[in-house]
Amino acid sequence: MPRKAKGQRPTFFTDPQVEKVLAMTMALAGEVSVLRERLDTVERLAEAKGLFSRQDIEAYRPSARVAEERERWRKEYIARILRVVHEELEAIERGETAASYDAVVRAVSSS
Amino acid sequence: MYEQIQHPLLPQATHDERARQHFVHALKEHLATTVSPGNRVVYEKRAKPRFVRETQRAPQNHHEVRRVMKDEPYYQIWSALQRISQEMMWDAVASSVERQLPDLVARAKQNKGELGSLTLNPDLPIPPYHTAVDIHCQPGGYHSETCPDDVAAGAIYDRAVHIYVMGRMGPLNDDLGQSLIAYLKTAYPDLQPRTILDLGCAVGHSTLPYVDAYPDAEVYAIDVAAPMLRYAHARAQALGKRVHFSQQNAERTTFADASFDLIVSHILLHETSASALRNIMRECYRLLVPGGMMFHVEVPQYGGLDPYDAFMLDWDTYNNNEPFWGALHEMDLVALASEAGFAPTRVVQTMIPSALKVARSRTGLFQGGDFAGRGQWFVFGAAK
Ligand SMILES: C[S@@+](CC[C@H](N)C(=O)[O-])C[C@H]1O[C@@H](n2cnc3c(N)ncnc32)[C@H](O)[C@@H]1O
Repeated sequence: MPRKAKGQRPTFFTDPQVEKVLAMTMALAGEVSVLRERLDTVERLAEAKGLFSRQDIEAYRPSARVAEERERWRKEYIARILRVVHEELEAIERGETAASYDAVVRAVSSS
Repeated sequence: MYEQIQHPLLPQATHDERARQHFVHALKEHLATTVSPGNRVVYEKRAKPRFVRETQRAPQNHHEVRRVMKDEPYYQIWSALQRISQEMMWDAVASSVERQLPDLVARAKQNKGELGSLTLNPDLPIPPYHTAVDIHCQPGGYHSETCPDDVAAGAIYDRAVHIYVMGRMGPLNDDLGQSLIAYLKTAYPDLQPRTILDLGCAVGHSTLPYVDAYPDAEVYAIDVAAPMLRYAHARAQALGKRVHFSQQNAERTTFADASFDLIVSHILLHETSASALRNIMRECYRLLVPGGMMFHVEVPQYGGLDPYDAFMLDWDTYNNNEPFWGALHEMDLVALASEAGFAPTRVVQTMIPSALKVARSRTGLFQGGDFAGRGQWFVFGAAK
């Protein structure tokens, strides 16, 4: 499925790089929030069921299979954070510019 | 936080997907209620005085407001965050839909029941105003298909709309339909349509309320996008509503002259183009019985709005892939309707309150997501 909406992305700052850093920061903030929510669920369930303690968490060592799963997850995670960089490339590949967007505004407004 | 009804077609979210979507919802709400109002302060205290110093007069329209606001760092960061929140929304929903797409396609097929109907036309051309850019940044737009019997665009739209409007269009996203019906029942209590047509129905959020509001009517709904219609039909079946969906361009349909007593549309017009709009008006005129009525729900026209409010409402034109939004809202609608044959004296333009209680939690601002603010919609209509 396509991940970038067709149409040149507007820029708001004088330095477009700032825009990307902000997008990354917000994606990261989102993922931290997802994680925090999941951890909260786990800790509450564990506590409610008397399953494990904080010391158990500290003492845990992942198996090779678990380590591999985690690595896969990390790759997806990083791709999500760097989404905006990948999308810029897509835009360049499609030849989208601010002028090409303005041309659409003019076209649909007058034809 | 308002939750959406988990009807049988709505994509299921895993724990993390739900948390990711909740984050976007919370971010949008924060931007709308806490960050966005600051733009007005920046405008009054910095941008407007700067404009007055330079030109010896106040900005007279939203274009002039935009010229001075675009250099304000506060406006820049709000805009950047607003755009990012939109992209994160589609990403958070599309990734969840993609994971379960085969299951969603299967569920749509299971809901092909006997209630209503679905007629697709794979040869129907997708209008250029939909292929030029992906409207409101939904990757792939309404029409793109990635597998046979694809419903992805519909599933994504159903879930994303709820996040986009921060839940304030109700648990079934049906505020627009409900509100227009509430207005019709009050303003036209004698209206008893036997045939109703909903133009640009998308997944039928606004269509379904007409089935209950006018139980004696046959309800028809059209859209150009097949994935929306497949999903809409299955969703209507699952919710037990009888609607006839067909894939047609509202500019020129296959229905016979004088087929409908009532024609409605909900936030369709701003997603078309100048010539398409004229065609749609003419088509409404052709399809209505004499005395029949058309009503279109939209966000308000800029005329009469404070230039700052119009500027904020116009943000989507340039920053959210809504290229026709601005041009529509500056158009003379009486002239538009009368060109198509409607008598100028029979044209209605009015603001209507939202029928939903949740709408009251909207901000009073004119901005995308809150739309008209204060839970109001703009209605443009005419009788034949
Ligand atoms: C914003 S959505 C409409 C939402 C829907 N009416 C509701 O209230 O939930 C716009 C829809 O109009 C459809 N559309 C756009 N232009 C159209 C046209 N010329 N004929 C039919 N459908 C059109 C799009 O495919 C899209 O599904």
